[in-house]
Amino acid sequence: MIEIKDISKSFGKNAILKGMNVTIEKGEVVVILGPSGSGKSTFLRCINFLERADAGEISIGQTKVEFKKAKSKEILAVRRKTAMVFQQYDLFLHKSAIENVVEGLIIARKEPKEEAYKKGLELLSKVGLKDKRDAYPHQLSGGQQQRVGIARALALNPEVILFDEPTSALDPELVGETLDVIKHVAQTGVTMIIVTHEMSFAYEIADRVIFMEDGVIVEQGSPEELFEQTKEERTKQFLARFSR
Amino acid sequence: MNEFFKWEYVITLFPKVLSALPTTLFIVLFATLIGSFLGLIIAYCRIERIPIVNQISAVYVSFIRGTPILVQMFIVFYGVPSLLGVIGIDISNWNKLYFIYITYGINTSAYFSEIFRSAISSVPASQYEAAASIGLTKWQTYRRTLIPQAGKIAFPNLGVSIVNLLQNTSLAFSLGVLDIMGKVQTLGALYYRVLEGYFIAAIIFIVLSISLEKLFNMLEKRMHAPKRSRQVTMQPLALERAEAAMTVQKSIK
Repeated sequence: MIEIKDISKSFGKNAILKGMNVTIEKGEVVVILGPSGSGKSTFLRCINFLERADAGEISIGQTKVEFKKAKSKEILAVRRKTAMVFQQYDLFLHKSAIENVVEGLIIARKEPKEEAYKKGLELLSKVGLKDKRDAYPHQLSGGQQQRVGIARALALNPEVILFDEPTSALDPELVGETLDVIKHVAQTGVTMIIVTHEMSFAYEIADRVIFMEDGVIVEQGSPEELFEQTKEERTKQFLARFSR
Repeated sequence: MNEFFKWEYVITLFPKVLSALPTTLFIVLFATLIGSFLGLIIAYCRIERIPIVNQISAVYVSFIRGTPILVQMFIVFYGVPSLLGVIGIDISNWNKLYFIYITYGINTSAYFSEIFRSAISSVPASQYEAAASIGLTKWQTYRRTLIPQAGKIAFPNLGVSIVNLLQNTSLAFSLGVLDIMGKVQTLGALYYRVLEGYFIAAIIFIVLSISLEKLFNMLEKRMHAPKRSRQVTMQPLALERAEAAMTVQKSIK
């Protein structure tokens, strides 16, 4: 279980997160929706300390850390229980697909190389890229890179995977293959927090949908509750722009 | 012309001047080693903005880059021993070459640190974030992600800097070190033939510079060539074993 309490974060005078509370059960898939600038990405980035939140605390499994006071050891502990899939994929540019996947296992987790490569190959075949194992990021399409990114996150077997707009930078044609992989992973019981603008995908995959704006949660509930029995006016406005 | 310049002297003096080549090359070698080591540390302190050290490094770098190496050499050779003498440490009987190595090392470190700093800064920040997100420590991030990528960017500039360093070593003779230029000076006094000596020195420096340039160009090309030939280390072996294990598993099923 992951519990995030009272998280807030400002950039200068600009308050991005204003004390959000989120609890996520093991195996739950949570999708966060919201307009640009509502703090969705900042929320994800604060969870694994890519940004340092100003206040609040997080507990993942046995680890409990206050955002502001966390020392580098505690930050590392949280990071090793989480994994992130980035909007721009952010694969290691000087490493092949398979090397990208095993890097965290061999270097951060100190797993034996043979084991790590075995796991890495399994994951690459899981995302349908076994034959691309030796390709470098610049030789892969955006969708393929993102699938390697997902395999890299999965390799760490984290308590939660954070998806930061995983398909926003992709060609429309490549969005499908990436979403399919994410769906497939969701079915295996991995806990996920996904920030996305793909509404039908959100509807299909989420156990719970959170709509946020201006650093606070406006409304949350099951996909049916949020999309079909919307309570808040603001949420309705936002969703209206997407429904056809 | 024959009065000033005689080819036979070029031939007689050439081996004698050439015997000083190792001295010059060792200055380049030690300066590069010291410079790389210090330069990396300085670059790290500046990128991470470590308080106080960062400011000291900035002053250090601009001082070194803003003063002639001759001045630095005199400070290290005359200034430092007398300063240390005050607190009772006597290094005045050290080999002159040590002072030369230290001076050129310090001088090179300032230039290298700027090369490293700009190279590391030019690696996209997202690479750092990716490394952090899979749980690498800061040291592992530098070693595994930032430095390998920065190395390729820094490499051509390091080459230029080292060729520069090679030319600069010709000032070491002002402390009386018998490097190539020092040797030319002494031979000049001995044979009353100066022009031939400088001619030989010029040829040696040109040949060295061009070879260094070629060497760096070659290494650079190899760095950017398709990478498959480079990874002849553990990885493919581990990869093959893992694959073999998987096929065996499948065949059992």
